[in-house]
Amino acid sequence: MSLRRRLTLSLVTILILFAVNVGTHFWGSYARNESMIAYRNSVTATQLSTEVEQLLEDQRQQTLVLATLRDTTDDQLEATELKQAEDAIATITGKIQKLGKLSHSVTELYYEQLWQSSSRLLEGWLDFYRGYNDPQVRLDIDDPLPFLEASQRLKELEQRQAFIAVQRASIIDRTIALTDRITVIGFLASIFLTATLGFFLVRYTNTSLKRLKTGTERIGSGDLNYRIDNIDDTGELGDLADAFNDMSDKLRNAIYDVRKAKDSADEANAAKSIFLANVSHELRTPLNAIIGYSEMLHDELEDKEEVDLPQFQEDLEKIIMSGRQLLTLINDILDLSKIETGKMSLHCENFQPAEILTQVCESLAPLLQKQNNTLQWSNLTKLPTLYNDATKFRQIFTNLLSNACKFTENGCITLFAQSLPERPGWVEFGVQDTGIGMDAEQQSRVFEAFVQADSSTTANYGGTGLGLAICRDFTTLMGGSIDVESEEGAGSTFTVVLPSDPELALAAV
Amino acid sequence: MTDGKPILLVEDNELNRDMLIRRLKRAGLAVIAAGDGQQALELMTSEQPRLVLMDMNLPVLDGWSACRQAREDEHISHIPIIALTAHAREEDRQQALDAGCDDYATKPVDFPGLLTKIEKLTRA
Repeated sequence: MSLRRRLTLSLVTILILFAVNVGTHFWGSYARNESMIAYRNSVTATQLSTEVEQLLEDQRQQTLVLATLRDTTDDQLEATELKQAEDAIATITGKIQKLGKLSHSVTELYYEQLWQSSSRLLEGWLDFYRGYNDPQVRLDIDDPLPFLEASQRLKELEQRQAFIAVQRASIIDRTIALTDRITVIGFLASIFLTATLGFFLVRYTNTSLKRLKTGTERIGSGDLNYRIDNIDDTGELGDLADAFNDMSDKLRNAIYDVRKAKDSADEANAAKSIFLANVSHELRTPLNAIIGYSEMLHDELEDKEEVDLPQFQEDLEKIIMSGRQLLTLINDILDLSKIETGKMSLHCENFQPAEILTQVCESLAPLLQKQNNTLQWSNLTKLPTLYNDATKFRQIFTNLLSNACKFTENGCITLFAQSLPERPGWVEFGVQDTGIGMDAEQQSRVFEAFVQADSSTTANYGGTGLGLAICRDFTTLMGGSIDVESEEGAGSTFTVVLPSDPELALAAV
Repeated sequence: MTDGKPILLVEDNELNRDMLIRRLKRAGLAVIAAGDGQQALELMTSEQPRLVLMDMNLPVLDGWSACRQAREDEHISHIPIIALTAHAREEDRQQALDAGCDDYATKPVDFPGLLTKIEKLTRA
């Protein structure tokens, strides 16, 4: 259940209890008022009855005195006295009627009887007064029965009223006690309920918040795999926990991305450092020769007699060769760096591959001679015209052929080329040698920059270890691919596949 | 400095080897040369050179391995070795010293400096 629902429910329960209390209070008030009015009526009626009883008694005394006077004297009843007596009787009648108005359904019957008997009595008295001055009229006023009956009825009514008053008073007491009890019970129940609900609400909220706090602390301390899943709430706190989980998911992903980015940046950085160290190493080797020979010649010049001109010239040529090697190396490094930063561009043109390959083979003659190798080539004239970067094409095969020469002694180097029947629009070029070859591990790394088959290769065969890396990058750039097949001691074959169809070449660019 | 024993130069690069031999000789030192680590160990045993100038990138047996082996061989372990390499970083220097070299010189070689190092190591 959600926190809001819990709170609303608690509030509604407390409000209902409150309403019950207020309702009880009003009902109690109403009931008390009702009984109070009845009680007051009864008390008033009792008083009135006493009054009427007194009046009747007085009136009877008066009539009895008058009757005696009438019998014994001849005094006439004066008009004013008659009027006085009629008024007195009318007053009594009025009071009795008033009693009737105060009477209750329970006392109605008693009142009716009173009314009948008192009417008879009062009429008898009126007749007495009106006929007083007429001696012909026989007036029997001494008969006590009507008066006693009326008195009797009045007393009965009075008792009845008193009884009702007592009854009402007891009802009032009971009502007050009842409402008091209900109010107290309601109040206590409210307090109990509020306290209980409050306790559970606080305990539940506290537990949930504690779990949230633990979760945020765990997540905050870097445990991004932690999930706040122990909150039994589908409402606000559950939503909050979900939001936290969601946040930690996103954080974890973000951190994962950042770490990955950092790792690859570190890797790139490490690669750059290694590259730089390699570059430094490769530059120092020819520089060592250049500086060493120059210093040596410089020293020799100090002693003119020591100068052996043919030797001097030979040494100068070594300096020039090392300088050229250094230049090649620097160019290679720049090429690689250009390729790696994506700044190397292709300058495409139509060219005959056979023409360029023939030129490369011719320029290779001194190296071939030095290593006592032979070079064969075939099929070159049947090749299609290529639309690609001729300069890079030349560099690729200069590198491959001079490599083949370098690693082969007293052997044979074969250059072959053919259109691929199974891949129309593609031409394959191959450089095969009978040299030292490579094992599988060496083959897998041979196209990486500054890698030669092993660290001693440079020492034995020279070279920068950049040639094949450049060949690989150039063929890729030209839309083709390069591959090697080799066996240790049995020579290597480097195969370059390039598109001859200009559209394929352009698509690659 | 001329007690008969030569200095052994181990260098696989022909140009550099030739150049250094000539310069060392010109400085008045007797020099013998080897082209790889294996050859160097053999010459150290047979010729007992006063000092070895050792390139590190060598064929057959590289300079670091050669140094370690020389240090384990009691017949030649006393011969001081100066590493001579184009690896110029601090960790390369440390790697050479860890392999048992007594000193370290980077290429291109500061020749007067190299002579000083040789002097220092052979004086004792």
